[in-house]
Amino acid sequence: MRDGGDASAGAEPPAGGATGWGKLVGFAPYQAFVALVCASPRRQFFLLAAFPAIWVLSQHLGPIVQMLYVSFTDAYPVTSGVEPRLTLENYRRFFDEAFYRVPFYRTLVFATTFTLATLVITYPVAYFLTRIVSRRNRLLMLLLLLIPFWVGEIVRTFAIMILLGNNGAVNLLLKWLGLIERPIPFMYTGFSISVGIIYLTALYMLLPLYSALEKLPRSYGEAAADLGAGPFTRFRRVTLPLTLEGIASGCILVFLISTGFYGTPVLLGGPSTTVFAETIAGFFHVAGDEWPTGAAFATIMFSTVLVLVLVFQRFMTSLRKGDTR
Amino acid sequence: MSRGVRVAFSCCYWAFVVYVFVPLVLMMLMGFKDSKFIGFPIKSWTLDWYLGLFGDARILSAFGYSVAIAVLSTLISIVVGTWIALLIDGHKFFGRAAMFGLALLPALVPGIISAIAFRIYARLLGIEPGMFAIIWAHAIHNVPFVALIVMARLSTLPRSQTEAARDLGADPLVTFLRITVPWLLPAILGASIFCLLLSFDDFVRSFFLGGYQPTLPVLIFAELRSGMSPEINAIATFAVVLTAALGLWAERFTRRMNRAPER
Repeated sequence: MRDGGDASAGAEPPAGGATGWGKLVGFAPYQAFVALVCASPRRQFFLLAAFPAIWVLSQHLGPIVQMLYVSFTDAYPVTSGVEPRLTLENYRRFFDEAFYRVPFYRTLVFATTFTLATLVITYPVAYFLTRIVSRRNRLLMLLLLLIPFWVGEIVRTFAIMILLGNNGAVNLLLKWLGLIERPIPFMYTGFSISVGIIYLTALYMLLPLYSALEKLPRSYGEAAADLGAGPFTRFRRVTLPLTLEGIASGCILVFLISTGFYGTPVLLGGPSTTVFAETIAGFFHVAGDEWPTGAAFATIMFSTVLVLVLVFQRFMTSLRKGDTR
Repeated sequence: MSRGVRVAFSCCYWAFVVYVFVPLVLMMLMGFKDSKFIGFPIKSWTLDWYLGLFGDARILSAFGYSVAIAVLSTLISIVVGTWIALLIDGHKFFGRAAMFGLALLPALVPGIISAIAFRIYARLLGIEPGMFAIIWAHAIHNVPFVALIVMARLSTLPRSQTEAARDLGADPLVTFLRITVPWLLPAILGASIFCLLLSFDDFVRSFFLGGYQPTLPVLIFAELRSGMSPEINAIATFAVVLTAALGLWAERFTRRMNRAPER
């Protein structure tokens, strides 16, 4: 940390005192302000740290803590004059009724499937961009992929609806090719949700994979080839283990994001594909006294997702260490 | 690598390009269909849906509302995110790792959970659903992205530059304003555009924290639930063109920033 004392003496203004900066520094209230703020490195640090500390605790952590608290109360928002009672009832509802548990498991299965599918789809793309395309074209070809990902969730979901509808482009194409007589009902199924959510999350997998592969020197593969390893062995023994970190962060991001979608499953799914986000949202559309249950369900989902992510991360770390021994 | 393998990988890439572009292109085309019903084939074409956008007060007000929310929430995110980055990057202190984790937290909470947590917390703070609530939620959600982008830039600032400024007699504040801020400017600009896009595109937080006035994504969502018409295609196309243009523009800044640090 720097010594803040020298400016406080109000010494002669620096050279070029006629400029705006010189005027500012020569301005007495400014000098007093600097003297006050920068009196000691310690004070300077506390003034710098106070606001971020208050902000992250009250604004970043606060909502989560409050959600946790509300999930244990019997009514929220509280009617004035009534003390909220603490209860576990909201959690019991989840474990008592299969009606709530099924969407929960479905969400976990969906999110895992989407994550794996995204990985399988984007790995070859990242590999192609970093290994086969020349350095010159690489950024342009990556940029080309970025363009659709700047478009919002709802707009892209709508685009998928047009693609997969009964009068959609895919059905039209299949009919034109003579493969089908009647349109295939793609919409409102697990399939349409997959197409939509993979569309939304692919970039979060692609970018970590891309940077992991880009960092990996080509010479490693060449060395393995010189030692007689075939293409498959090279991939399994060299490329894959050394990009595990990218794979892990991509998978975690996509998993976290795909459990949180609400608009897309509502628009692309049907009654047989209700996800837990819709269940949670249901408690917030009706009367206020359902909020604690919604908070409890959200807490269950958040903690499950966090535990799964932590377990997965540990697993990937141990895998990485085991392989580089 | 053999030619066959190269071609196979290249096919993967172009198939992926088709996957991410074709839905949007089809959606744009559908806005030209001269019929009330969405669906292929398109037999006759019209510009009416697109021209109608500019006369529709509902769409224009939703658009203005979304833009206002995006700009105001971005301003807050930039100040807070930069502040957090300055603290975490420049100092070693007790709880630094916790600070870093907490700073990133809003970006890691799945969408629906973050939305309802904000909804509950807004009630605690006495924030009514509406514009301010959305701005507040978007601002918090975007802070981690600003902090990460600014920290990346800050770590490339040679320490010798700030030290030189101090040696020449500049006080810490002047050093910050004349050395650090100009250095961070490209990162701040890139982060701003990123935040504008995130806020403009956001659905779930706007949906749960909004009042009667819908943002553009919420309006499109509501229209879709009540039935599709090519008018939605026109609105959505408008949103696509706007976000893609802004994103491409932002890309220029980030790339300029990632180039070898200028003197």
